Amino acid sequence: MKTLIFPSTPESIRLASLYSYDEWIVNRFMQYIPDVKTFLERMDRHPQRYIRTNTLKINSKDLKTKLLSKGFELRDTAFEDVIAVEKSSFPIGATIEYLLGYYYIQDLSSCIAVEALDVAKNQTILDMASAPGGKTTFIAQKMQNSGCIIALEPNLRRMRSILYNIARCGVINTCVYKMDGRHVSDLNIKFDRVLLDAPCSGEGVIAKDIKRKTNHTPEDLEYCVLIQTSLIEAAIKVVKPGGLLVYSTCSFAPEENENIIDSLSKGFDIEIEPLQYGADGLISFGDLHFHQELKNTRRFYPHIHNTLGFYIAKIRVKS
Amino acid sequence: MFRKANRQEITILKRAFDKWGVFDFFKEKSLLIKEEDHRVREVYLLSSALETIILSGQPYHAGLKIGELKKNFLLSMQGADIIGRISNKFPYVIVNELAEKLILYGRNVLGQSIVEMTENLNENEVLLLLNINREPIGIGRTKFSGKYLLQKDKSTVATLTDAGHYLRSECQ
Repeated sequence: MKTLIFPSTPESIRLASLYSYDEWIVNRFMQYIPDVKTFLERMDRHPQRYIRTNTLKINSKDLKTKLLSKGFELRDTAFEDVIAVEKSSFPIGATIEYLLGYYYIQDLSSCIAVEALDVAKNQTILDMASAPGGKTTFIAQKMQNSGCIIALEPNLRRMRSILYNIARCGVINTCVYKMDGRHVSDLNIKFDRVLLDAPCSGEGVIAKDIKRKTNHTPEDLEYCVLIQTSLIEAAIKVVKPGGLLVYSTCSFAPEENENIIDSLSKGFDIEIEPLQYGADGLISFGDLHFHQELKNTRRFYPHIHNTLGFYIAKIRVKS
Repeated sequence: MFRKANRQEITILKRAFDKWGVFDFFKEKSLLIKEEDHRVREVYLLSSALETIILSGQPYHAGLKIGELKKNFLLSMQGADIIGRISNKFPYVIVNELAEKLILYGRNVLGQSIVEMTENLNENEVLLLLNINREPIGIGRTKFSGKYLLQKDKSTVATLTDAGHYLRSECQ
């Protein structure tokens, strides 16, 4: 599908110039992001840092004690295992606690995607685009290392990171295939849960990588939509009836999010289940109109939710 | 290629687990061997549900590599991490905070850094490097025996691997 581009306005030109974005991006943000000026300001600041306790190795209370004794300033979140790091005396990726696998540096929104999977012990779970392994290792701890997780990663270079994190976190219930998710049916396995954290344009992580303000094009977004469409269609075919598929991206673009789920709902017998956190999904964008159920999907905005930009859809496969 | 351990390999593993006081821990766990070109035999710990899938599907990676089989069973860092936390029968040295940092940069252990160690250690003995919280931070090999390990200003334990190894390799 073509990326929606809107006619320039004096305000879109002014904001794009003020915050150093390509105009077409800011113009699109103005269509669907609430309080866009605060949002653009927030994207120029470092994102909130979060760590997730790896309960396969330590509990949150003991981890907090260790980090506080090293001068960290921490804040609890709505999730017991997820801690906001307000201040750290060391880089959080270089402490002994990190090296020993006591925690994973992971955004809150990414943790919510795993929460949405409703993981239970002894299930069979697929993580379709798994590197660097943050969600995979979180799923493993929720399963208490039981059952099995199949993680897919087509890129050998990215594979190194997932193998390291699996080892560091002490995960024993996961295997990794060097495989493009679009070929997952070759495995001939049906899954209780499937997580598709799809490759995307990455608009939601501009605060971490400001090059994204200007270095992607409408055509890049269209390319992502093609991949996302084929990945989600492959994903839904391997979910057991009654099972769950969680689709997520770190993008704000409706074409990569609501539009994908809306198209899916037209071809498959699914139900989009509500989620507790985040803002409602969109039901329209420009001349695109989505099913009312799309409201149940969730958008995460840095200036509202203090997370990276993120999108989550929780999909129950009925038959 | 992942496969089940043969009788000889099981004997080596059981002997090692028994010696290190972790026989019961591993009794109920699945272990598979990954062998490439008949050269390296890696030992992987995995959940029982995973074992069936692996043997039929042959993934790129599965479970947790806990060591390698040669004439004996040699622990990996992850194997050391498990064993160091559930047993105190594996030979060890406990090092001070400064040495902890140095070990995580791949440096060897100086005699004065050792605050506690297993009695009667031999030269060339493989042991766990523990920090003062008794957390496994590396695997080492003694260069001396017994009290000579405590010699000042001498590197007395060589660091074979450590928890900081991967990050250093990524930085390079």
